[in-house]
Amino acid sequence: MHKKTIYKETDKMADLISNNYSMLLVMSRFGISPGYEDKSIGEVCRQNEVDVCTFLTVVNFLHKDEDKPVKDVNSCLSLEHLIVYLHNAHDYFLKFRLPHLRRKLTDVLKDDCPPDVAFVITKFYDEYAEEVNKHMMYEEKTVFPYVQELLKGKKNPKYNISIFHRRHDQIELKITELKNLLLKYYPGKGSNLFNSVLFDIFTTEKDLTTHNQIENNLFTPAILEQEKLL
Amino acid sequence: MKSLKVTIVESSVIVCSGLEVQLKKLPGFRIQLTEISDTEYLGESLRLHKPDILIINPVAAAGATPQQFKQESGNPDMKCVALLSGLTNKAILRFYDGKIGIYDTLDEIRLKLEKLCAVEINETEDSEEQQTLSVREKEIVVCVVKGMTNREIADRLYLSTHTVITHRRNIARKLQIHSASGLTVYAIVNKLVELSDIGKS
Repeated sequence: MHKKTIYKETDKMADLISNNYSMLLVMSRFGISPGYEDKSIGEVCRQNEVDVCTFLTVVNFLHKDEDKPVKDVNSCLSLEHLIVYLHNAHDYFLKFRLPHLRRKLTDVLKDDCPPDVAFVITKFYDEYAEEVNKHMMYEEKTVFPYVQELLKGKKNPKYNISIFHRRHDQIELKITELKNLLLKYYPGKGSNLFNSVLFDIFTTEKDLTTHNQIENNLFTPAILEQEKLL
Repeated sequence: MKSLKVTIVESSVIVCSGLEVQLKKLPGFRIQLTEISDTEYLGESLRLHKPDILIINPVAAAGATPQQFKQESGNPDMKCVALLSGLTNKAILRFYDGKIGIYDTLDEIRLKLEKLCAVEINETEDSEEQQTLSVREKEIVVCVVKGMTNREIADRLYLSTHTVITHRRNIARKLQIHSASGLTVYAIVNKLVELSDIGKS
């Protein structure tokens, strides 16, 4: 199928997802239900009360898959909607993705690994999940409220988005390490479930990377613009 | 700045301290020195300090060959340099990796050391592919896994903290593991430690 570079409001929603299935995650994060029929992106968004401009900005940003800050963020982008998107992404990682992966991982380890190895791998995983939790909670408790105040026209004199930008670490590094550990040193026999866990780790790694890219290269520049307005 | 651990074996205190003063003046090197006048303790000292370079007076070596020193130190990459204060049989010298004469200028010594280190650097590049850890690196992994700080590891293994940090960097590069909890997994899988050893943390 023809690969598009930029999606427009008039393109079919179903085509967008067939072309790039990772966009499925974007749907649920914007709160868009499946069953798109033959509707256009614009129609589906309006039906689900999602800001079309913000949706398209995120989709096209992900689709380009470049790790560099967006210059001249489209002024039609809605920071409120982007925050909803990021918040739902956090929920996805913390309440679904990571606990789900942990269950699968412990299931694999239980039958296929010496108990001491299973213990330290699980411990590694839990520390990792806690790091992700801290990372995302900081955004939820500090960054998002700051931006919401900013949108109301109130600028917190003690905070600005460059503080966030400086301390925003690459949360995907440690899951890369887990991947390396399992690939290189896993002592068990391996199984279909083991492979499935690895597949999950690969996608989670990629997913966290793009999540961070949205925060660094789209969200942060948009807030910088907003800060300049005040 | 290149860090080097150097052990000098020379029975003349004057020659030995003279060389020490000159080595410390060398630009581009941070040299950590150990001097030994009595070869009786040489083997023990080599195992303890693991020098990069052993500078030894062939007379003091009393017939022992560089090969034997390397074996004793447990580090086949250690360079043996003959320290010459007089006439020495050429047949003995060919086993050494280099030689320093007491009439060498500072520049000559610097060039010789640089040449020795260059060989060393090339060798590590060649073995870039290999990811197995050296005995010393494994010792350090065990310490890290037990929750020791760099300072504590340095004291335990008689190293400088600088050397510990260098080792840790090499371990991270070889294993692609950067966190202590990742090293724990590595250490348990490879049976470097028991779970009970790290139970406290």
